[in-house]
Amino acid sequence: MMGPMIGRVAAALLVLTGAAAAWAGNTLVAAGQRVAVAKSALTVAPASEWNRLGARPGRQTETWTLDGDPLNDLTFYGGIETGRPLFREVAKRTKPLPHFSSTMLLTDLPALFEQSYRIALDTPLVTIDASEPASFLGEKAVRFRYGFTRQGEEVKRQGEAVAAIVGGRLYMITFEAPSIHFFGRDIGRVRDLVASARLGA
Amino acid sequence: MMHRLAAWLGAMSCILSPVAAFAQEKSASRPGFAMAPGACILLFRPDISVGAQSTGGIAEPNADWTQEAREHLDAALGRAQQGMGHPIVTAAAPVGEAAAALAAYRALFSVVADSVIEYQFFPGNRLPTKKRAGQFDWTMGPGVAALGQGSGCGYGLFLLTEDQFGSTGRKMLQIVALMARVPVTSGVHKGYAGLVDLRTGELIWLNADRQMGGDVRTADGAAKRVAQLLEGFPGAVPVPAGSGQ
Amino acid sequence: MIRAGIAALLAGLALAGAPVRAGAASGAGALPPYAGLYQPSTVDERGLWMKADEYERQLRDSAFVIRDAALNAYVRGVFCRTVGPDRCAAVRLYVMRVPQFNATMMPNGALQIWSGLLLRVRSEAELAGILGHEFAHFERRHGLGRLRHGRVMTDIASWAGVLGGVSGLVVQTQAIGSIFTHSRADESEADLLGARYGAAAGYDARALPAIWMRLMDEADATALGRRQRSHRYDRVSFFASHPTSAQRAADLRAAAAALPPGGESGDQRLVGAIAPWRSAFLEDQLKLNDFEGTDVLLRQIAEAGWSEDLLFARAELYRGRGHPRDLVAAADLYRQAIGLNAGHPESWRGLGLALLRGGQVDEGRQALRHYLAARPDAADASMLAALLT
Repeated sequence: MMGPMIGRVAAALLVLTGAAAAWAGNTLVAAGQRVAVAKSALTVAPASEWNRLGARPGRQTETWTLDGDPLNDLTFYGGIETGRPLFREVAKRTKPLPHFSSTMLLTDLPALFEQSYRIALDTPLVTIDASEPASFLGEKAVRFRYGFTRQGEEVKRQGEAVAAIVGGRLYMITFEAPSIHFFGRDIGRVRDLVASARLGA
Repeated sequence: MMHRLAAWLGAMSCILSPVAAFAQEKSASRPGFAMAPGACILLFRPDISVGAQSTGGIAEPNADWTQEAREHLDAALGRAQQGMGHPIVTAAAPVGEAAAALAAYRALFSVVADSVIEYQFFPGNRLPTKKRAGQFDWTMGPGVAALGQGSGCGYGLFLLTEDQFGSTGRKMLQIVALMARVPVTSGVHKGYAGLVDLRTGELIWLNADRQMGGDVRTADGAAKRVAQLLEGFPGAVPVPAGSGQ
Repeated sequence: MIRAGIAALLAGLALAGAPVRAGAASGAGALPPYAGLYQPSTVDERGLWMKADEYERQLRDSAFVIRDAALNAYVRGVFCRTVGPDRCAAVRLYVMRVPQFNATMMPNGALQIWSGLLLRVRSEAELAGILGHEFAHFERRHGLGRLRHGRVMTDIASWAGVLGGVSGLVVQTQAIGSIFTHSRADESEADLLGARYGAAAGYDARALPAIWMRLMDEADATALGRRQRSHRYDRVSFFASHPTSAQRAADLRAAAAALPPGGESGDQRLVGAIAPWRSAFLEDQLKLNDFEGTDVLLRQIAEAGWSEDLLFARAELYRGRGHPRDLVAAADLYRQAIGLNAGHPESWRGLGLALLRGGQVDEGRQALRHYLAARPDAADASMLAALLT
């Protein structure tokens, strides 16, 4: 979800340093093949093409998009460990992110997500609209819907996520897009993709 | 989504904008698209801002310049209309719920245009699905039809220009930075023009350039800017473009 | 993002330049004569107003504006009483859903009050002093001077940037340093004028220094929690556009002493007006991931007594941190809240989750059943029901 920004930094640094080809760009995810995501055992089988952004929100995360992450952002969290934030700190000293803990209940996960977004996006306009039990990676899981608006942009976005704790690590897939058109258009194929997720090939 | 980072990058890109490091595309249109002859185009109130840029890259807005620019740009648009082969209807300022809907779509247009620049025009960060030859597939969704209701127009035109003229201090910094091999731009001259099919919401054509020419504070410059903004406008009779920056 | 930058700039415009009329800051009790509806004159100023007008157009439709009629009417009422009907008419007031302590005045007369400020003021007299302070910026044209000064400040940052790394964000994110981003001289003048407006409107000016004392305590706790040193007694830092809070408290104390004694505090009216929103504002604060600062803030608010919403908020704070001992403390706090009001369903929910996470499964489930019986339609009802088996 924060990939392209990092991408822009990387691209800018590339320009600044004049380096020729240091940075792994965005790559195509082909339809119909099972792929591992987020440098983890998490795999999914997309039924249609996606773009994998070269820039990652954090060490064990990965973002896919159709039209750019401001318009559709599918992020995989592949086994966040206890004591780690969901994604890279934005300002560790002045507004540190909350950390995941393996002792959390499933109901704590939407709250962790909401708080992380509020801090990282610097907006109180993040809401968890509903949550319900689900099955994910063969485990008990929580599925929740959320919404948020960033300051200075005023585009309302909607999101849907599913999260489970497996072996003490957090696995989660989130999808978010502008409420106008994009969320409704893409959520169907995202749900199919999420249903295909499992650990291992 | 990182707003802070975005703000920081905004600041940094003012300070350290990469100048033409990559040959970047500026314009594209939906392949195979043809506008119905004589169809009218609904123009949403252009977003125009003109100011100066201090050494630090801070925008110093200037109301007189903006007012001049608005008048010159309006006049230039009026003249350019003849070359576009389509009548332009200026959208009335809406109120109430319609105003909120327009605001939402203007915000969305800005995000879509930025995404086109970032993920299709900018080679360094291009998405694999967006770099296939001749492809231009972007949309704002069919809900955009509500904006055109009652106008009788099949197309909507969004325009945005933002100019900050470099101050002497900024130009000095540019020279010093050049010697240090750090690219720094002097001034911001950005313009987006986007044509949307009001029935489908598809983006038919976008011309987005963060390094535009033409001093919009003068009649000639505004004409040049409008010519640049409308360059490649689908189905247009070629508009005489100004002579380089 | 350009917009965000401009917004930040406008919201934060400040500094010296503005001609401070000799004696304006001395001579207790004297308010400047009201000059009537002001229009911008110079190129710089008109440019600034234009940008402010444009920003305000966006602000008006912003999702961050709280549109609750009663809350707006209350804040506006206090503002009008403080500065008088003529001055009041020159200002548009926006209550913003932003959980930090801040209020900003744009050069064109658009005044923003943040929800984090409403959570932290204790009385109408304090609110009046702050609103008067913001109006003083408008009346004394402080925004214009800041534009001139801001140019110099960012110039320094930019030259440094070429050599490698000064982030302007540091300026924005400073805890209480950024509270009212105008210059130190302007801030001091506005503080004193604000106190005088309040006193002239019949509010007790002696209330004002306490705001800054409380903010210092909170900021100290935040700094401690983040393993940073306290800024409490600092000399003014390079970026700080404000006098230190200690300095402000001392200045205000001196100013209040020079004003005629008496005046009301209006604390009950303030508490009553904020009451419908307090839970929401507390929730925003809890989600800032600032355990120590929030704990101090809650204890400050609770000086008037621990009510169920404060006990609940503190319990949520402890449960959120989630150390085993926190879960025990949280369960105790939820029980206290339930003791005050057995019909506070959210406390049953929290109690259940704290006990479950702490391994007390049966008692936890029982508490959750209480919650679900009271709130069968809760957004997470099915999720909680799944924890019962």
